[in-house]
Amino acid sequence: MKKGTIILVIPTAIFSAILLYLVIWNAVISFTNWSLLNPKISFVGLQTYFSVIRTFQFSNSILHSLELSASLVAIGNILGILFAGLLYFLSSNKARSVFLSIIIYPLAISMAVNALIWLWLFNINIGIDWLLVRIGLPQFPWLSSTSTMFPSLILVSIWAYTGIAALFYLAGFMNIDKSVIEAARLDGASAFKILYKLLIPNSFNSFIIATALLFLFSFRIFSLPYILSGGPTNIFLQTAVVYMYYLFTVEFFSQATAVATIITVIASVIIIPYALIIIRRWIRK
Amino acid sequence: MRPVVKASLHYLALAIVSILWLIPVYAMIVNGFKSNLEVLSSPVLSPPTSLSLTAYITVFNALAKPLINSLIVVIPTSFISAFLGAMGAYFFYTLSYSFSKFSSAISDVLFSLIALATFIPYQATLIPLTRLIVSMGILDTYIGIIFAMLIFYIPTGALLMSMFVSVIPRSLIEAAKVDGTGDLKIFMKIVFPLSMPGFISTLIFIIIQSWNNFFIPLILVTTPNMRLVSVAVQSYTGGYGTLYNDTFAAAMLASVIPLAIFIFLGRYFIRGLIALGGGGKGV
Repeated sequence: MKKGTIILVIPTAIFSAILLYLVIWNAVISFTNWSLLNPKISFVGLQTYFSVIRTFQFSNSILHSLELSASLVAIGNILGILFAGLLYFLSSNKARSVFLSIIIYPLAISMAVNALIWLWLFNINIGIDWLLVRIGLPQFPWLSSTSTMFPSLILVSIWAYTGIAALFYLAGFMNIDKSVIEAARLDGASAFKILYKLLIPNSFNSFIIATALLFLFSFRIFSLPYILSGGPTNIFLQTAVVYMYYLFTVEFFSQATAVATIITVIASVIIIPYALIIIRRWIRK
Repeated sequence: MRPVVKASLHYLALAIVSILWLIPVYAMIVNGFKSNLEVLSSPVLSPPTSLSLTAYITVFNALAKPLINSLIVVIPTSFISAFLGAMGAYFFYTLSYSFSKFSSAISDVLFSLIALATFIPYQATLIPLTRLIVSMGILDTYIGIIFAMLIFYIPTGALLMSMFVSVIPRSLIEAAKVDGTGDLKIFMKIVFPLSMPGFISTLIFIIIQSWNNFFIPLILVTTPNMRLVSVAVQSYTGGYGTLYNDTFAAAMLASVIPLAIFIFLGRYFIRGLIALGGGGKGV
């Protein structure tokens, strides 16, 4: 390879290397006991991990993260297929792009802003409940009851991320040979039957991509639980990334790096196969 | 069922979904225009009886500086990331010519790395990132925030641009190679101009992402004067002291740029999203 070619990749390589350095440095520190109480660093092996994993806060927050991701993957995929089906059978391209834009727009707004808006929509006196009561439904306690808080968080993330799943399914449906669909139509197959028998079975790729990205995006949501929970004392909305941030703010550094390393490992399990299979296949064809 | 009935049911279903999805943006738009008196008595979902700009005036004074800070950070971040990412993407394209084991191993490693940088929960690099920025002496500066964002967005740019560069016909580049043109020149004269629509998609995707990034400015800014708008809006988090018209006006000011971009250039943003899924075609 010529020198001129290498120059092209130098910036990307440098910044990727910095990232790798950060990740490795983080992992190294997780084997030490560095904290506000131990400003002098010494290696303690896996001790930090053992002490972190045993805490209630850790299992609570990692469970929340996994529950959030699992719910979003399940519901996001189902709604994504449903919405993509509704969009696919529209005859007008213009209407399709308008409706698609509407379900995707939450992705264009900051999650911090989304959290801010939903905080007021969830207000029990003047929010959505006001409307529910007016049409004769019971009030729902959204963020004001410990048992409904977490489902409310899931609801906001579904609202925010379903669009991306719908988009991948729609893209998958559009790539399926039109003549097959037309033939099925002429045979009198209903839209539902075409969706069920033809479109869904042929969108395995979309399913993989939607699942991987919904998992990764939901696993790293920070500002939504951070703002909706209102602070470190509310453990009902605490996800792994939020817990790690609080560990950092109270200067439990090695504990924070241990949690960060666990988060990185879980995310990498999804990211690396995604990169090697999906993306490489596309680029190399 | 008669076709007319079917079509109306179809549109009805889409209309219901749209209404549900638009409630937050509706709330954001109408409530910012309520007067301080009106917010005390009216629910979030009811429109204002008269348009009042009090909330916007109050909030604008507090958010003017953060808005400028965000622009100062986001514009260079997104242009640098998209352009350098495009260069990296062309490198991957040239790698895919050569079928040697070594170069494909390199491309696998680099590819996993740029995907990792794009999708990693960046909060997980919190401590080393802060330490790096502190030791470089750029904590609480524009350069510091831009540098940190580049670590995550240059790889994102490379990942997205790889999708768009990969569809450029090989024959064009091979012809230039036969003429003895170097890769850097091929990139500037052929690849970059040809991938302009992809470049715009990547640019817009990164503008929206970096504008909305909450965590990096949260940890790398220590003085109120340097705050970016995504973090500044957080001070309007409900409670008893906040009037909710202020909250919604702040939300609107923080979202007006990404929303305007989304409304006018939405298809480029959507193409960026599709590229994340590993494909540039369709929709």
